[in-house]
Amino acid sequence: MSKGITHKSSSKRRRPDSDDDEPQNLQAIGNLEMLSDEEDGGDASSDDGEVDNFPELVAESSDEGEDDEEDEDEDEDEEGDSEEGEDDTEEETDAESDTGSEIHIFPKAKTVVSDITQQPKLVYPQIEPDYDSDSSTEDTPNRVGNIPMHWYDDMPHIGYDINGKKVLRPAKGDELDKFLATVDDASAWTSAFDKNTQMDKPLTPEELDIIRRLHDGENPDASYNPYEPTVEWFTGKGKEEIMPLSGALQPKRRWVPSRWEKQKVLKIVRAIRQGRIVPNKPKSTNKFEPYAIWSSEPSTSNPPLPAPKPRLPTNAESYNPPEEYLPTEEEKKAWESQDPEDRERDFLPQKYTSLRLVPAYDRFINERFNRQLDLYLAPRIQRVKLNIDPKSLIPKLPSPNSLKPFPNYRSLQFYHAKGRARCLSISPDGEWVVSGDEEGIVSLWEVMVGREVKRWKFNGKIGALAWCPRTDVSYFAVGIDDTILFIIPPNVDSTISALTVSVLSPATLPPAPATPSPVKWSSVAASSWSSDKPILTLSLPSSSGLPGQFSWHRRGDYLASVSTGGGEKGGVWIHQITRRHSQAPFKKIKGTVQNVLFHPTKPHLFVATQQYVRIYNLSEQKLIKTLIPGIRWISSMDVHPSGDHLIVGGYDRKLCWFDLELSEKPYKVLRYHSRAIRSLHFHPTYPLFASSSDDGSIQIFHARVYNDLMTDPLIVPLKILRGHQVVDDLGVLQVRWSSKQPWLVSCGADSTVSVWCS
Amino acid sequence: MGRLKQKGKAGAAKNYTTRSAAVKKLQCSLADFRRLCILKGIFPREPRNRKKANKGSSAPTSFYYTKDIAYLAHEPILKKLREHKAFAKKLSRALGRGEWASAKSLEENKPIYKLDHIIKERYPTFIDALRDIDDALCMAFLFSSLPSSARLPPELVENCARLSAEWQLYTLHTQALRKAFLSIKGVYYQAEVMGETITWLVPYQFTQNVPTDVDIRVMLTFLELYQTLLSFVFFKLYTDSGLVYPPPLDAKKDEGAAGLAALSLQNISRTVPAQTTTTPVVNGRQITGKDVRQTIKAISTDVSMDVSEVQAPLPEEQSDVQEEDFVVHTSKSDPNATSLPTLQSLSSLPGTLSTNLFSPYTFFLSREISRPIFEFILKCFGGRVGWPASSGGGSPFTDSDPSITHVIIDRPVVEKEESADQRELRRRRKYVQPQWVVDCINAGKILLEDNYAQGKSLPPHLSPFGEYEGAYVPMEGGDVSMSAEQDNEEEDEEMEEDNTADGGIDAALSAEVETTAMLRAAELAAEAAGIDSSTFEARVEQIKKKQPQQSQKAKTDDQEEDMNKMMMSNKQRKLYEKVKHGQQKRVNERLKLENRRKELNKKQS
Repeated sequence: MSKGITHKSSSKRRRPDSDDDEPQNLQAIGNLEMLSDEEDGGDASSDDGEVDNFPELVAESSDEGEDDEEDEDEDEDEEGDSEEGEDDTEEETDAESDTGSEIHIFPKAKTVVSDITQQPKLVYPQIEPDYDSDSSTEDTPNRVGNIPMHWYDDMPHIGYDINGKKVLRPAKGDELDKFLATVDDASAWTSAFDKNTQMDKPLTPEELDIIRRLHDGENPDASYNPYEPTVEWFTGKGKEEIMPLSGALQPKRRWVPSRWEKQKVLKIVRAIRQGRIVPNKPKSTNKFEPYAIWSSEPSTSNPPLPAPKPRLPTNAESYNPPEEYLPTEEEKKAWESQDPEDRERDFLPQKYTSLRLVPAYDRFINERFNRQLDLYLAPRIQRVKLNIDPKSLIPKLPSPNSLKPFPNYRSLQFYHAKGRARCLSISPDGEWVVSGDEEGIVSLWEVMVGREVKRWKFNGKIGALAWCPRTDVSYFAVGIDDTILFIIPPNVDSTISALTVSVLSPATLPPAPATPSPVKWSSVAASSWSSDKPILTLSLPSSSGLPGQFSWHRRGDYLASVSTGGGEKGGVWIHQITRRHSQAPFKKIKGTVQNVLFHPTKPHLFVATQQYVRIYNLSEQKLIKTLIPGIRWISSMDVHPSGDHLIVGGYDRKLCWFDLELSEKPYKVLRYHSRAIRSLHFHPTYPLFASSSDDGSIQIFHARVYNDLMTDPLIVPLKILRGHQVVDDLGVLQVRWSSKQPWLVSCGADSTVSVWCS
Repeated sequence: MGRLKQKGKAGAAKNYTTRSAAVKKLQCSLADFRRLCILKGIFPREPRNRKKANKGSSAPTSFYYTKDIAYLAHEPILKKLREHKAFAKKLSRALGRGEWASAKSLEENKPIYKLDHIIKERYPTFIDALRDIDDALCMAFLFSSLPSSARLPPELVENCARLSAEWQLYTLHTQALRKAFLSIKGVYYQAEVMGETITWLVPYQFTQNVPTDVDIRVMLTFLELYQTLLSFVFFKLYTDSGLVYPPPLDAKKDEGAAGLAALSLQNISRTVPAQTTTTPVVNGRQITGKDVRQTIKAISTDVSMDVSEVQAPLPEEQSDVQEEDFVVHTSKSDPNATSLPTLQSLSSLPGTLSTNLFSPYTFFLSREISRPIFEFILKCFGGRVGWPASSGGGSPFTDSDPSITHVIIDRPVVEKEESADQRELRRRRKYVQPQWVVDCINAGKILLEDNYAQGKSLPPHLSPFGEYEGAYVPMEGGDVSMSAEQDNEEEDEEMEEDNTADGGIDAALSAEVETTAMLRAAELAAEAAGIDSSTFEARVEQIKKKQPQQSQKAKTDDQEEDMNKMMMSNKQRKLYEKVKHGQQKRVNERLKLENRRKELNKKQS
């Protein structure tokens, strides 16, 4: 421990007149030097008496250690090369002498210089041969030895003393007593239960010290010094090994130079002489030593695509651009507020009056860096630069002038009082028009002059109107709530009128069908009939809704109707006039039916649901084809008079042209109306069709269909007819062609009906 | 039945690799991967369908061709990079242990990679390389002006300066410079070397600082490649024109304090023909260096002699002799005589056009003129250039030289007392602003100096590189469009005249159908010309129709086109709209500039 002091004392001891009290003096000197330590030391000494203070011990020992180190530092040079052996022997003893006044577990030996031999020797303290002298025998009346004490658990005694008398179990208080005892006794927390005496015994300072050391992870032996100086027994000055450890002969290689090594060295020397090896040759620092790299044949593989070059500067980048290139204040602000990535130019044009005023460009390095990022991080796509005239993209079609006649102006307008003109129909001879509005008014007027001949007033909306295509009779069907009315117009030939009446209200009713239909046919008797009233009334089953669309078969005997109410059977009815019988062709149908159409030549029926158009063969009663127009919601359709082509219009503005021979996908999809398509119609004789839309316009197309299957149908847009007003987002609700003339009649939400002539 | 196809085993999933997968495959760090990509010129690709390429994930990643990555995996540099990683570990360990000796030996044997094979791979032919040196030149010029720092070792900056000087020397020698443009970013130069147009940008002479948001490592990697590329390209260019490469730069170094004055000396001494130096190039360089040093010593000892006088004659003698040798030799004994003459003819062909623009003149650069820019430009076009001592030594003449024809000056005019001599000098010389030089070479002729006289407000400086077709032409925008319209009208008239045999009458008709009197007169004229009345009337009808129709026709055509657009397919429509949009944008831009010009004109008048 107190190494320094020992050194000092040992060095002092070299002098003949050294005293024994020298260490004490030195200690004092050391203390004087280290003021702070001295204080600690004082504290320690004052606390000495108190048992329960662990830190006291700690402070003391560490103090000493520090002192020692300090001393050691001081004394190192002084000591020089004194004999270590002696030092070591003295070390322990001196430590004991220093700490002698303090705690010891075992009796400590003192080192004393013998008077006789003049050598230091250990002197142990005298053991006084009293009974009390040995602490181990002091107070152990119980002589049972090291046995498990629970053997005495049931006994009133705990063992026997030296005299063989019972040692009685000491009185054990209750918990309160124990507690009080801990409060009263200051040393209670440093006492432990002694098995032998069956009571608490205070721990001795030595034991406490051991506990503390164990707790601190130190060596439990207080006298153990982990920092002893090394003792150089075999090495060090004067102690080198001179004699070999073994008597074996030295190998030859120890003193004969190696031949192989010599050869190797010679080889190197020769190489150096010949200049093959240049010792300490300066390394070629230049990584870029050029040579004729392109003199050899280039590889046949294609070189990688060169990176695109940056754009060349334009006038705006000049230091002195024309003034019109300079940005205005707003442009500057807009440029600054933009993200750098969004900017069209990476600089703001600036003007300097002379070159010497041009400053450094602050984003120069950034731009170089960005260019490099583009080079190695940007995916490159090889684009074919289109250098085409955009007009060449527009398809070349024959001029509309060469495709005349087609309607191109409005010849007259017919006004309904109020309510949207929802539907119209033109008589097969092309002279009369009936138009119906939402107020329940049906007007009959002449196409040529627009004079109203007759007006019928019904309760409820008019959903659909359809003139019977037969020429030998003349009547039309009107769809109002849940009913279909058949009306004979006035001013017809008497023969035609008579035939019509006999068709619609025959004198002898045909026999009732085997299966009764829910549709009631009731006709007014021919005698009591007048043109004011419908001659025949079909009452559809209740709550089937407004009949929204009619389609006559070309013979004029069958009428198909679609009611808006729908229902299980899709609201589709086919009425046969001659047999006065109605039947629902579908037991059940998927989706709501929008439209039905008879094929012009074959016994086929087109049924448009919301998204599909299905074609049924009525005679064989089976599905032939399903067309997929790709329209979200079909609004209308019409079939070409040849029966091979179908056009379908949708509320999503699309018009699909189907070639029924070709595919179930549309041959052409057009989208030109800005709002939903409402109505479509093919002209029965001319190669024309028209579409009307909610944007208030009517589009006329030339649609030529060729007989040979190789040529695609020619569709040419001819004319956009504008004139209908858009009311409540509804435009032109229905268009119909006159059968003989290239004239078009249209009705709109602005409660007008227009005739468009060529 | 064929084999079942598994997902992700073919097609885009196999052809593309994400970046992280590539890094994993190459077993290198991301930084190394980047470095490799830069050096090898590999860049990400955009798959047609990102989901298909990334196993159904649409996460934002960059994709590389799998074949590109496989190609990288065989790269020798990748091996070197791995070795370097091991070296760095060893070195740091040695340094940590304080084993200085082993650290030193490690450092000495540090793995170094060379980029020669990459240059050969990326540019199989010389023309490929030459085509791609634009960026390399920009970088070399930029880094030659950067201050050296810990990241930028002085050797690097020096090497860049050397490369840029070598390029300038070459363009000077071959007079390859074609255009220059003073922009706000710097000076753009365009040269034509071996039929390739090369454009590079040089920043103005200010100290540039590397901004913090720039990854200097990336730039340095690029620079590494560019330095190698440039040195190979220059080697080829110099040796092809019979010059020593690298040109002896020792002179410049030795001169040191004189700074840029050494440039003129180099300029001549570099024309050492390759065939005369049968000894290695190194020897030749050493000799010239020694010579230079001796001459400098002689100069310094000989006080009475003027620096410029001594410097000028010595190299000139050499150069005269050498140039003669050079010409004879190349014409006689060049093994590949077929290729070299064509190259020479290529480089000399445009030279006859305007490269000697300034050869009759002698210029003096005023001290506020940036000497490197204007010395280079003027010399490229054959001018003699001098400068005051404050812009560096080595000027061939002083400002009092009587041969000076132009003084490039960029100062406001200051009234001051002048002696008679000075006034005389001033009278004989022309004082022009620097823009004159650049505008002259861009115009290919000597412009009138009065517009560019000292202190005058300059005419705008326009880009010589042009803009897209149909762009706004600044100076006489209005005039040009006017004349174009006139031309059109004339053409139309001519066409009509050609169509009808006797167009004179027709023209008269078209002008005069309005008034009946005139019509009568025309009829008479027609009779006189021998046209019968029926044909005359038919023609009158025709013309009557034609006149209102012409305006209507255009309208109906437009309408028809609008309607025909309905019949376009979706794809065509989109393309059409895109093209139209682009056109409209350009037209708008032009209109904006034209309107602004008009407003400005109004303001001025």
